[in-house]
This record gives sequence, C-alpha cells and structure tokens, in this order.
Amino acid sequence: MSNEISLKETERKVFKAAFQDGLVDIGIGGFLLVFAIGPFVTPYLGDFWATIVIFLPLWVIVFPALGLIRKYVVTPRVGVVKYGQWRVSRMRRFNVIILIVLVFSLILGILSAVEFDAVPGWIHAARFSLVFLLAFSIAAYFLDFTRLYVYGAVVALAPLIGEVLYQYLNVPHHGFAVTFGLPAVLIIITGVVRFIRFMRDHPLEQGT
Amino acid sequence: MSGAKTDEDKLHPLAEIDNVIHASARLMVLVHLYVVESVDYVFLKNQTGLSWGNLSTHLNKLEEAGYVSIKKGFKGKKPHTMIHLTKQGRAAFKDYKQNMQQVLDDLPD
Repeated sequence: MSNEISLKETERKVFKAAFQDGLVDIGIGGFLLVFAIGPFVTPYLGDFWATIVIFLPLWVIVFPALGLIRKYVVTPRVGVVKYGQWRVSRMRRFNVIILIVLVFSLILGILSAVEFDAVPGWIHAARFSLVFLLAFSIAAYFLDFTRLYVYGAVVALAPLIGEVLYQYLNVPHHGFAVTFGLPAVLIIITGVVRFIRFMRDHPLEQGT
Repeated sequence: MSGAKTDEDKLHPLAEIDNVIHASARLMVLVHLYVVESVDYVFLKNQTGLSWGNLSTHLNKLEEAGYVSIKKGFKGKKPHTMIHLTKQGRAAFKDYKQNMQQVLDDLPD
C-alpha cells in the first residue's frame, strides 16, 4: 500500500538524518588510516607497542573528538530523536550480528597467525577482505547507509591488491600505505566535505 | 438484503475523516511522530520544513485534541521540548489512514 511505503520512507529518512554530517565517514577513514600507517611502525616498535601507539590516538583522541562534535555541534542543529520500536529492534539485531562478525574475524585472525607460513599469502588477504566486506555490507544494510557498500568494496580490495603488489612487484609492506591509505584519505575527504555542507545547510536553531 | 454498498455507505468513510489530522501541515507532523518514539522541536522543524510559528500552532492544535504530548524541560541551562504521539493520537492516525485508504480505494480509476 502506498501509504505504508510512505511511512517506511519517512522512518528511513528520519533515521538517515543522523548520518548526514559526515562524522561517521571521518571515523571510518581514521580507522582505515591505521592499516596504512601500521606496517611502517611495527618494525621499530614490535607488534604490541605498534598496536598501542597506532590505535590509542584513535580511541583516545579521534573517536571522542567526533563524539563531542556530534554532541555539541551536530545535535543542536539537527535536533534530538528517539527512534521507534521497529528501529530499536533492528539496531539490536545489528549489534548482535556485528558482534558475531567480530568474533568470526578474531577466529580468522588467530587462524592466520597460527598458520602464517603454512598457507599462501593470498589466503590471508582473502580472509582479511572477507571480514571488511562482511562488516561494511552488514552495517550498510542495517543502517540504511548506502555509501558503506562502496566503502566495503573498496576496502576489501586493499589486502588483495596489496598481496598482488607484494607477490609480483615485491612492494614493501604490501603497499598498504597506498592500498589502505588512498581509500582512507578519500573517505576522510568525503566526510569533511559532507560535514562542511551539513554546517552550511543547518544553521544553529535558536528555538527549543 | 443486498450486500452491495449504497451511495451513503460509500461516502461514510469520507464523513469520518478527522479534520484535526487532515490539514497538510498537521498530517506531516503526525506522519513523522508516528514513525518514532519522540522528537524535539528542532528535529521536527528540520524534517517538516515548517516555520517555528507554524509548527507551534499546529502542535498546540494536536495537543488540544489529545493527539500529542509536549514535555518541556531543560538540557543543561537551555530549554528543551520533546514531543511524542499519545496512544489516542496513534489510534486516531491509524483510523485516519484506514478511512483515507477506503475512500481512495472506492474511487473509480
């Protein structure tokens, strides 16, 4: 029925209003940048400290800063919405499925570490790609966030292209600086442009 | 006894259309409130494209009819108002939807 479609569309439009500010894109780009920088830091600091040094600024500075921008800059402009029961249960399902994907990726990671030299490099790369593709596609579907399908496809190509660069051209660090760095920078730029546009289109409201 | 609808029967749903809901601005407000739990003024204004004055007038009418509940509070030191559809409002909107559907379905192509 046409009126049901219209209500569905309205609900989707209301939900998507929360993602028009570009902050999610900047966060994703920042996260991917870690994979571009990581291989350069690891030889000097070792796996453990390299992970700490790379991920810490992301969790301590970047993500909290984006959260504060959302709270103090975006919310006063876009307003507050508490979603309906249908959306809340959909988000619960999303959280459970993403948790399963994370456990699955952890298992794949352990498997890759255990049999690192026993299997060809492209199998590790394919596992890595599969995790990215799964996580981004599931998020895109449940969050009605179409751009994430494109991000997922581009990011999933990064380990595979990296493996090709390493196998055939012997590029150091699998060329991750470019294969992950380029999509990361493009996604961050997309986010920044969307944020600037958002600020231009949503002046601060004085009412309540 | 015939099962066929008389002209009066066909017009009956039209007579039952709720005029409080039927105004386009209020219908737009209710459609947005119907799909969420609650929203604040800023969000509703952004989504409907109504001016502050218009939105306020229509919300007052809906509140008088018992269709929406407006809760005024504070967020820090700033006033903050949340709006949600009441049970009565939700039921009225469902009836409105059904009546409109019936009226439109009964129209010839």
